[in-house]
Amino acid sequence: MTTKYTKMAYDNADDMVFGHAKKPISYGLGIKVGAGRVIPEINYAPRPGTEKSVERITKEYVDYISKDAITRAVTLGFPDLQLETEWVSQMGTVKGMGASIVAGQKAITEKMHDEYGINLAVRHTIPDQREAEQGLRLGMDSKFSYPEKFIECCETACENGTDVLCVESVGGKEFADYAVLNGDITAFLFGVGYLGSIDMEKIWTEMVSICKKNKTIAGGDTNCSGANVSMFMAGGLLDNDVQRTFSAVTRAISAARTMVAMECGATGPDKDCGYEGPIIKSITGKPAAQEGKNCQCAHADIQGNLMAQCADVWSNESVEYHPEFGGSSVQCWLGPLGYECSLMNTAIVTGQAKILRDLYMTSDRTRGPEGYILAYDNAWKIGKKIAENGNDYYLRAKAAGLAAANIIIEGNSKKELPLTRKQLDVVKKIVKDLEALPDDTDKFYEYCEKKYKDEVPNFKPKSYGF
Amino acid sequence: MFDISKIDYSFILKRYDIAAENNDTPEAIASKMLPKDPVLNKLASVVLYMKLKEIIPTVNEALKTKKPLEIINNGLVAGMEIVSVLYAKHIYYLPEIMMAAKVMEVGISIAEKQIPGGRETKGKVVMHAAEGDPHDIGKNIAAVMMRSSGFTVVDLGKDVAVDEVVAAVKKEKPLFVSGTALMTTTMTAMKDGAAKLQAEGIDIPYMAAGGAVNRDFAESFDLGIYSEKAPQTPPIAEKILKGYDWKKVREEWDSIVGGQ
Repeated sequence: MTTKYTKMAYDNADDMVFGHAKKPISYGLGIKVGAGRVIPEINYAPRPGTEKSVERITKEYVDYISKDAITRAVTLGFPDLQLETEWVSQMGTVKGMGASIVAGQKAITEKMHDEYGINLAVRHTIPDQREAEQGLRLGMDSKFSYPEKFIECCETACENGTDVLCVESVGGKEFADYAVLNGDITAFLFGVGYLGSIDMEKIWTEMVSICKKNKTIAGGDTNCSGANVSMFMAGGLLDNDVQRTFSAVTRAISAARTMVAMECGATGPDKDCGYEGPIIKSITGKPAAQEGKNCQCAHADIQGNLMAQCADVWSNESVEYHPEFGGSSVQCWLGPLGYECSLMNTAIVTGQAKILRDLYMTSDRTRGPEGYILAYDNAWKIGKKIAENGNDYYLRAKAAGLAAANIIIEGNSKKELPLTRKQLDVVKKIVKDLEALPDDTDKFYEYCEKKYKDEVPNFKPKSYGF
Repeated sequence: MFDISKIDYSFILKRYDIAAENNDTPEAIASKMLPKDPVLNKLASVVLYMKLKEIIPTVNEALKTKKPLEIINNGLVAGMEIVSVLYAKHIYYLPEIMMAAKVMEVGISIAEKQIPGGRETKGKVVMHAAEGDPHDIGKNIAAVMMRSSGFTVVDLGKDVAVDEVVAAVKKEKPLFVSGTALMTTTMTAMKDGAAKLQAEGIDIPYMAAGGAVNRDFAESFDLGIYSEKAPQTPPIAEKILKGYDWKKVREEWDSIVGGQ
């Protein structure tokens, strides 16, 4: 059983600010998150081909990437650094690869901490390779055994010394993909808001248990596989695949799902690529990792400043390791990342944090509808709707979607948020579609099961306990 | 929060999407492109306006007076070509492409049953997401666009083992094979696959695409060609259909994806 959030951690949106969380947490080698200082987090990907042997990829992650990053942090005088390793698929499938890298990174952080006194931690984000076609639960995937490998990866990471365990879970992705491609908000609500929450409850109960056994921090999740797909395809101002108003509403729905990790006992920091973080922080009070302007090495989003408004950990998302003029890529991208944290921390120590927060937020507030609903005042309003419906996965996700859609429409009607005709038409249709859905969860399930029977053939009810 | 009510946002940012908004309507564009023949006009319109419920009776009615190939090429495909124009002009978006393609495919499936021996498509392509990679949304979009452009797609799915790709290529004998990857360590599967194809004496282009892949990587191994975005795949396929090998696709890549 999980304890569901039905009240807000923050009574006022204005109380939310970067570097401070209601429930700060300490771990690793001197890292304190949400306790008054924003922590830079560098994420990276190994070069193609290095996965060919355990020795080679361990060298890539430990002797090159980790050492380069920590050395640069020391060189530039950063007091804290968190490394994040998002596992490549081979780390979960090649014997000994995951363990070797986790242990290697643990060892080098201890060595560098001892040598320089820099506060360090490593977050390992294990891969969720479960496939809807095969089945998401233990015993269902006879082809790849991915559900079993999922658990093995958690154990490997924790037993070999990760400080924080995270995942980008994929429950409901079969519907999310369909929803994004077809502009179908009901499918997204069903897949991510409802089924995704059920799946998260299952896996996060297990993950928190493994973390407790190994005294590891259970960090959190992200709807990278759903709302981020939507956001990336909505793209920049001249892209034309997915409407940005659609993407914004999927983001709000995803918040109701991603916070299930916290309800299962995860403490944060949650995953940087979960742009739903400000909404979740408003409800849970747990530290948020975020990314924005300093993750342009991975992708361009149109709320690069705004996402720093409430961040406790500030990330670059991911950069492939390679040489650049100023050093290796992890060093070059850590520079601006760490300096941004330095600016935020200067604002905190000089009592100017709320001013800087509002500058971040204002600079992107009207750049697009997704930034608009994630502006901390609007994120808080969406969080409140989720908490008011907190006991029911479906109803709270629907409430989040409706709240976001109405905030966008209201922002447009009061001429604060410009929208194209198409963007406005889409968000109005979303309201109509969501309002037409039943208020009863069982009826909603029956409706969706019938509606998507042929459209989403890889949906297996058994994956979600039905 | 400080007072934001009087902020002039135009000083901070420019909403190019608002500035570039196309005021044309689908109807205005379509009126210049729809077939004049009333039967073909109706077929194309049903695709263009994504009327899924109408496609079956419309095709059945058309079969009373038109040959199946005429229905397909001058009605259904003609409608899809208008959809492509609307997409390029930012009037239609991806959901419209998906729905129109679905309507067209339903119509084609009915009409082609009346063609003895089945319909010949432009050619066949084998598509997959690379071994170890579960991300296949880009591949799925490209597959729809390829089918909409008249090609047959053999979709192997996601997380497909290299040997499985090679076996499919040997069996299907496609114009080219495409793979996608979102991770730096899964995209190497395409390089491995290309090497195995060459070892088997197969010299078709191996298109590498997906979030982690760039042109440098795709062109770093023999057979490799690049597609940055799904809509680039059909024009590259058209060139391969005309006889371009992987080297010539590389040489003319900029002009091919630039629409020349």
